[in-house]
Amino acid sequence: MNRYFLYLVLLNMLVNVIIFVPNILIQYRFEGAVMGVLIAIPIGVALNYLLSTTINKFPEQGMPEIIANSKHRWLKIIHFCGIQWIWFTAGLITLVGFIDILDRFINPEMPKMALLVIYLAAIFLIIQLPTDRVMYFLEIVLFLNTPLIAFIIFKAFTNDYLSWDSMLEVGTHIFERPSLKSIAAATYCFSGYTNLIIFNRLIKGRLKIWNFFAVFLLGIFNLFTTFFIPIGFHGSDGAQEFQYPWISTADSLRLAYSPIERVIFLFLMFYMSITLISISVHWHVSFELIKGTFKEKISKKKNLLILIFYAGCSVAGVIFLNTILLNKITVYWMIVRLGFEILLVVIFFIWTRRWTA
Amino acid sequence: MKSINNWKSLVLALLSVMLLNGCGFKDIDKRFFVVSIGVDTAKNSSKKYLVSLKFAVPSSSKNNPTEFMIVSEKADTMSEAVRIIKTKVDKEIDFSHAKVIVFGDEVANQKGNSGINYWFIRRRDIQSIAWVAIGKPSALEVLKVQPKSEYIPSNALFLALGRDGSETPYTISEYLFDFKYRLSERGLDPLLPIIKAEKEIFEINTVGLYNKSQMKLVLNPEETKILNFLRNREEKSANRVTKGKTVIIIDTQKVKTKYKIYTPRGKAPYIKVLVSIEGILEESTRRVPNEKLSDYEKIAEKSINKEIEKLLVKIQKANLDPIGFGLRYRSRHFNNDDWEEWKRIYPTIKFKVKSKVQIEDTGLIE
Repeated sequence: MNRYFLYLVLLNMLVNVIIFVPNILIQYRFEGAVMGVLIAIPIGVALNYLLSTTINKFPEQGMPEIIANSKHRWLKIIHFCGIQWIWFTAGLITLVGFIDILDRFINPEMPKMALLVIYLAAIFLIIQLPTDRVMYFLEIVLFLNTPLIAFIIFKAFTNDYLSWDSMLEVGTHIFERPSLKSIAAATYCFSGYTNLIIFNRLIKGRLKIWNFFAVFLLGIFNLFTTFFIPIGFHGSDGAQEFQYPWISTADSLRLAYSPIERVIFLFLMFYMSITLISISVHWHVSFELIKGTFKEKISKKKNLLILIFYAGCSVAGVIFLNTILLNKITVYWMIVRLGFEILLVVIFFIWTRRWTA
Repeated sequence: MKSINNWKSLVLALLSVMLLNGCGFKDIDKRFFVVSIGVDTAKNSSKKYLVSLKFAVPSSSKNNPTEFMIVSEKADTMSEAVRIIKTKVDKEIDFSHAKVIVFGDEVANQKGNSGINYWFIRRRDIQSIAWVAIGKPSALEVLKVQPKSEYIPSNALFLALGRDGSETPYTISEYLFDFKYRLSERGLDPLLPIIKAEKEIFEINTVGLYNKSQMKLVLNPEETKILNFLRNREEKSANRVTKGKTVIIIDTQKVKTKYKIYTPRGKAPYIKVLVSIEGILEESTRRVPNEKLSDYEKIAEKSINKEIEKLLVKIQKANLDPIGFGLRYRSRHFNNDDWEEWKRIYPTIKFKVKSKVQIEDTGLIE
C-alpha cells in the first residue's frame, strides 16, 4: 500500500501555500533562497528515506506500539510529549493562517471565532477516528481536489502574463550563500513523511525505491511552482510585497469561459478541504502520541481534556496572532521544526539499530 | 450510547455557531455593485483627486435599457473618497465586480500616484484581473459613455479590453496585477491603453507608456500595432506595402518576435530583433502576378524593418522599456550590478531588426 505514503507527502506539499513557505522563500529570493531550495531537496529526500526505511522494519505498527514495551517509561513519555508539539503547532499555524485567509477573502463580515468553531468541530470529529479512517478521508479529499489544483497550476504555467525573464532573474542569484531560514522553509514541503510514525499502522510490506524517486520529482516540481510562479506573475522586485503570494497569484488568473471568472474563489474552495484534512492529519498524529503516553486505554475525561486544550490553544491563536506576527513566528518555527525533525529521525534510527542488534 | 453522545456534542457545537453569527452577512439587495472606477484630478479645489464610481442599477424587467449611476467625490486619497461616497448612497458599496479602473489623462501625466496605484492592489475586494486604462479627455467622461449595443453597464469596455468581443492589434489591454508588476520591476516599464470617449462609442487604439511614476510617451495607432507585434500578443492585423504605384495590404496570420541582446567585447552592444510574419494578400490596387509576390515580400520586409527600428529608437530616446529588454539583460547576467550596467548600456544600444515576410496565399483570386 505504497500510495498511502505518497498521500502523506503530497498533502504537505499542497498545504505549504497556507503555511507561509512561498512567503519565506520569496523574502530571501536574492539572499540565497535559490541555493536553499537546491540544498533542501537532498536533505528532504534523505530524511524521507531514512525514517521510512527504518520504520518499515515494523510493518503495521505506529510509534506508540513499537515503543510500548520499552523499559524506560519516563523516557518514552518525555520523548512523546516533546515531539507531539511539532505536529500540534504545525496544525495550529495552518489553522490560524487559513482562518485569517478565509476571513480576509471570503467573508470579512463574519467573526473569526465562528469560522474557527466550524473548523474545530470538523477537525475534532476527524482526529478521534481510527487511523485508517483518517487515511481514507485524506484519500477522498486528495482525489477530489488534486486534479483541479493541478488544472489551476497548468493554467498558471500557460498564462501569457507569466514572465520567465523575472523567474530567470531570480535564478541568476543561485550562487548567493544559502540562508538557514530558506532551507528550513523549503524542507517543509518534504516533511509529510514524519506522519508515518502513526500512519505506518496502515503500511504493509516494504516501501519500494520508486516511492522516494516520486518524492524527489514531486518535490522539485512543487518547490519550483511554489517559489517561482508568484515571481513570474508579480516580478522579482514586486513579489515580496504580497502577504499571501500564492493567493494573489490565483487572483491574477482569469478563466474567461468558466462559470466563475476569478480563479481565487475556486482556489480557496479547494484549499478549504485540503487545509482541513492537513490540520486533521497533524493533530491526529499529535493526539495519538499523547494517547501513547498512557499505559491503559485513555479515559473519556482525559480525552475531553486534550480536546479542550486544543480548542483553547486555537482560540488563543486566533485572538492574539495577527498575520504579520504569525508570519514572523512561522519563520523561526520552521527552523526549530527542521532541527526537531532531524533529531527525531536520528534518534529513531539509532534506537532501532541498537534494538535490532 | 457513546456515539450518540458524540453526535450530541457535535450538534451543540454547530448550534453555537448560530449564536456567534450576529449581523455579518448583507443581502444582495442591500449591496450596490461598482462596475468601474474613475480617478481624475480635482478642478477648482484644494483636493488632489476626483474619484468617480459607476454603479450598476438593477432593473426590474429585462426590457429596460441598461441603467447606471455615477457618484463622484473630491478627496486627497482613495480611501477618504470612498468613505464619503458611502454617505451618499443608500446601500453598502461592493467592489467585487469592479472590472475597469480608468485614470484620467491628467492623473496619468502627474507624479506621485503610487498611493492610489497601491490602494487598488492592497484592497482585498478589488480583483487583480481588473483592467486598467487611461481615459481621455477624463476618466469621468469615459465612465459616462453608454454605447447602444451595451446590455449591462460598462460591458462594452469589458468586452473591448478583454478581447472577448472584438480582437484588434491596436488595443493593448492591461490587467491591474500586471500594471503593478511593471511598476515595481526594474527593466520593464508599464503601459496602459488610452480610451478616447466620444459621444456613444469608445476609441481604444493608442497606448501610453509610463516610466516608474508617470506617463511619458503616447504612441499612435500604427506604433501601437507594432508594439503588439513585439510583445507577441496579437497576430491578426493589416500591413500596408507600397511598391511604385501599387499598394497591397497583407493580412497577417502569424507574427513571431524574438530578440537577443549582444554585448561583444570592445564593440558597441546591440539588440538583434527577429520578426517573422506570415500572411495573406487581402487587397491590392493593381493585379499582382504570383511570380512577383517575392518582390513584394522583400519590400514589405524592408518597410517593416524600418518601422520597427524607428519605434524602438523612439522608445529608447524617451528612456522607456515597455518590452523588457532590461529585464532580459538582468536575467541573463549573474553579477549583482547588472541593473546599473544596463542603465549605462541602454541609452546607446543599437537595434538590428531583421524581419521575414511570407505571403502564403492570395485569397480566392490569384
